[in-house]
Amino acid sequence: MKNFIERLFTFSTSDPEDTRKRRILGILLAGTAGVALFGVLAFIYFAATVDPAEFYLLLWGSALTFVLVAIVYAVNYFGSGRAAAVLFLVFLYIIFIFSDTADQIVGGRTLFAFTIPIFMASILLTPASSFIFAGISGAVIFYLALSLGVTPNIPGIAGFFLIAFVSWLSARSLEQALSELRSINLNLDRVVAERTEALAESLAREKIEAGRNQAILNSIADGVIVFDKRWNATMANPAIKSMLDIPLQLIINKNFRELVEHPRLGPNSRAILGSMIEHGTQPIGFRVEWGDKTLSVSAAQIYDQRREDTGTVIVFRDFTREAEVERLKSTFVGIVSHELRTPLNAILGYAEMFKEAVYGPVNEKQVNMADRIMKNTQRLLALINDLLDQAQMEAGKLTISNQTIKPAELLETMHSLMDKPAADKNLKLTSEIEDDFPEMLVGDPARLQQILVNLVGNSIKFTHRGFVHVKLLRQDDRWGIEVTDSGQGIPEFEIPHIFETFRQVDRAATREHGGFGLGLSIVKQLVGLMNGEISVTSKLGEGSVFLIRFPLIFPKESSVTWRPHE
Amino acid sequence: MNKLALIIEDDEDLANIFAEALRGIGFEIENALDGKVARERLIHGATPFLILLDMHLPHFSGRELLLNVIKKDPRFNTSWIMITTADARLAEELRDQVDFAMIKPILFGQLRDLAARLKPKDEI
Repeated sequence: MKNFIERLFTFSTSDPEDTRKRRILGILLAGTAGVALFGVLAFIYFAATVDPAEFYLLLWGSALTFVLVAIVYAVNYFGSGRAAAVLFLVFLYIIFIFSDTADQIVGGRTLFAFTIPIFMASILLTPASSFIFAGISGAVIFYLALSLGVTPNIPGIAGFFLIAFVSWLSARSLEQALSELRSINLNLDRVVAERTEALAESLAREKIEAGRNQAILNSIADGVIVFDKRWNATMANPAIKSMLDIPLQLIINKNFRELVEHPRLGPNSRAILGSMIEHGTQPIGFRVEWGDKTLSVSAAQIYDQRREDTGTVIVFRDFTREAEVERLKSTFVGIVSHELRTPLNAILGYAEMFKEAVYGPVNEKQVNMADRIMKNTQRLLALINDLLDQAQMEAGKLTISNQTIKPAELLETMHSLMDKPAADKNLKLTSEIEDDFPEMLVGDPARLQQILVNLVGNSIKFTHRGFVHVKLLRQDDRWGIEVTDSGQGIPEFEIPHIFETFRQVDRAATREHGGFGLGLSIVKQLVGLMNGEISVTSKLGEGSVFLIRFPLIFPKESSVTWRPHE
Repeated sequence: MNKLALIIEDDEDLANIFAEALRGIGFEIENALDGKVARERLIHGATPFLILLDMHLPHFSGRELLLNVIKKDPRFNTSWIMITTADARLAEELRDQVDFAMIKPILFGQLRDLAARLKPKDEI
């Protein structure tokens, strides 16, 4: 029933304004039909109680109304809405004209009824049509007045035009408001359509992107697990399955704790791996033992476009082979260290015994020869030491200790080792400690000594006359070693390269002075391991100044440890 | 009576050089060329005045001898313990356990001069 009524008042046209007007007309016709029905019911009531002959007019009027309503409705539904409206208004005029006496229409009770077509015209046709119907109403009244021989009701006719004006204004405003509303709706529909299309495109793009990411993940050899904000694994690639030797079902949608607490994970690796996943932290060169495998692990936090943390991605790489090579390398360095130094120590010892005449008197030439053997052996030992240090640093095996040291002792030892080489070249080797320099500080005595001897040895090597001067100085929260020489100096363009491994300023220097060019490179690396910095200034033909600065740590703060640069 | 020095060193040349350096300043020398022999000698022999202990030995390492034999036997409290190694890290690690941690190469004169200055521990 509800659907039937809805269908009666549903008019499909391309013009929404026309549809609206047809719908209003439909409602008015329904109201009119209701009035006609009331007339029929009234006739039935009066026919039963009074003489029915007096009420036939009511019956025929109601029946005619039904017929006219049906015609107008048919025109409105199937034909033109505007024609139906005109028909309806004409129909109203006919009803009003014949519903009362002429004198009552001209100036009595029915005059008001003639205003109804005026405002209905503004609603059902166009706002301006209310003036036309005001004219028609006025003409009808004027004509009836003339036919009765009375003066036309001019104020009443003027009132029609006034009502037409008000109707025109209100209908026009209503149509404008509706037009604007339709325009807004249209724009809104367009925006919604555009957004929907963009969203669909974006979803399609995301889908393609996700597919591509998954394809990349599937194709790489590294094992990848992606954790969300709650540290549940949301994605993993096939490589991780073979790397960890566990099915993907035991990784995906599982909390990271299940991975961290897996029995194959080495107990020493659990805490750090857990922290990496939780915080996306990235310790350098972190490796975990997983069963009989060594895996290198790196982590990174994932951020969305608003820079909000959305999870962590963990990448595992099978490092088993490299770890084995590293172990072998370390063992090799240890063996070489022992096996090379031991025979050289023996050569050195026998040469010294020979020189010291342990087995009987020796002449001056023999002493001289023993000296040369010792000097060359020591040179060879120094080269081996440099190479081993370099190898240890490359393998990350060289460690720095923290001990209380006396800076004065550093200089004393340096003098005991370097005075003779300086004297052999007629160079003046001097040293000083600044007045406000601390008597004790924290450092690695062996490595600091190595740095000092390397720097002074380098200066002696490249200085032919003059001096080499060493100064321990303090600069705020740092302390430094400054080595100044009056040597040949370094060309400016070579300064950036002098700390490179196997580098000497010119090849002739290598032949003249010997060495692999490792000394300054080792110094720089050691300084780096101690969180220090090194700089050099030089003037060709006048000399060079090497300055090293370290963080100043007093013995009372010895709990503060120096860590190698990460 | 001469002071006794036990040289535990697997390289014969070095053992010879160390022996000559110490003999020259009046030490009586005993040699052990591997960890096993050294262990027997340490457990059953006389208490040396000076023990020169190489870290890199066959059978038992110098580190094992130091920590499991020498440091556990109170007889050696009066002995001067001197370890020799080419490994600076190991020397650093064991420095607190011994009287001297010497990094190879060890010079003839250096050892001779150092040993010459040693006095009996119970007199210090």
